[in-house]
Amino acid sequence: MQCDSCQAALEARLDGELSMDEAREIDRHLAICPACARQFATLDETRRLVSENAMRYNAPDVLKARIRGAVARAASPTVTASTRKTLRWWREIAAGVAIAIVSSGITLVTANRSAVRYSAEDELLASHVRSLMPGHLTDVLSTEQHTVKPWFNGRVDVSPAVPNLDTAGFPLIGGRADYVRGRVVPVVVYGRRQHMINVYAWPSSSPGGSPPNDLSRNGYHFVTWRSGGIEYWAVSDLNVAELHTFVAMFTAAH
Amino acid sequence: MNEGDLQRFERVVLPHLDDAYTLARYLLRDEHDAQDVVQEASLRALRYFDGYSGGDARAWLLAIVRNCSLTWRKRRRVDDRTVPFEDTAPISTSDADAPDAAVVHASEQARVQQAIASLPDEFREVIVLREVQDLSYREIGDVVGVPIGTVMSRLARARKRLAVLLQIDAREAS
Repeated sequence: MQCDSCQAALEARLDGELSMDEAREIDRHLAICPACARQFATLDETRRLVSENAMRYNAPDVLKARIRGAVARAASPTVTASTRKTLRWWREIAAGVAIAIVSSGITLVTANRSAVRYSAEDELLASHVRSLMPGHLTDVLSTEQHTVKPWFNGRVDVSPAVPNLDTAGFPLIGGRADYVRGRVVPVVVYGRRQHMINVYAWPSSSPGGSPPNDLSRNGYHFVTWRSGGIEYWAVSDLNVAELHTFVAMFTAAH
Repeated sequence: MNEGDLQRFERVVLPHLDDAYTLARYLLRDEHDAQDVVQEASLRALRYFDGYSGGDARAWLLAIVRNCSLTWRKRRRVDDRTVPFEDTAPISTSDADAPDAAVVHASEQARVQQAIASLPDEFREVIVLREVQDLSYREIGDVVGVPIGTVMSRLARARKRLAVLLQIDAREAS
């Protein structure tokens, strides 16, 4: 074998892209040709150094959660379209109501509100999905419950429980104020592997507590319960069993 | 898309998000751009999932990530921060008296990282696909959209540059 044809095949030899016969032929030449052998050794060392030291990155959990949310949303375009339509319809009615109020002074707001009322799940799902979009998840980014809880003071009129569930595998990610069901509500954000859990809280119409209750929509799960006059909703794409575990930990811890 | 397809997509494609993100990091050299591109690529993959014929899902996703990265670069007109290649410019090495193993490893990593980053785009992508993602020549050809011969020549030229940048000269083999 000539050095020219050997050198042309060194890369392929190195990358395991040659047949056994071809590889053997190269090896025979390398054994007797110091110049080619040296070139091969340089290549081999380069490959080793690069493949051993080049960084492998992990996609951030928040990115993964965002993608899962976006994928779930994109996979059910009919829901998105109908939601948008409802919104447009709602806007038109709102505009009509505004004109009615201005022109006649008659208040139709009450009637209107009951006519196009979203269910709590619709609004929470929209809010949850929105939260997974870039930069929307948290207003206060902190894994420290004593930072997150006081942050809500003056921003919302309920003081939600913010238990530390780190040891249970539900790290606290942060909190934000969101607008749901016609009011500003506190949202506490927890993580579970690549999943995000949003916990919403607002004053309950009935005092006392009630056990957790779950429902699902578009691949997202909701668990709601009442505690200390506050109604809580946990929303996530996490499976129902783990979401219930989370809620059990959450309620036990506060 | 029905529930079954969605689940299949989540099972087949989404496990490769780390690799997708790694490729985007190398191609764009910016973590935020890389995040945006991986998200965009994932949604594009979902849209074209019908056309996925069941080959290596990782290579398939990486091809989409690469295309999205190129489009992103064009759109953003990211100024090319490639360091001009000079045969005589070695990566700085510190010759401290007795560096411990961790320091050596860290500086080795930094040296390699810097060397890869300084490669022109067309060389950097084949090196990353080969040495980091461990793709075969054929898969690299599919991802980059060039014949295998081109993959080989780019890889050979990229390695020659890296050998110079990393000051590798295997004298002991002679």
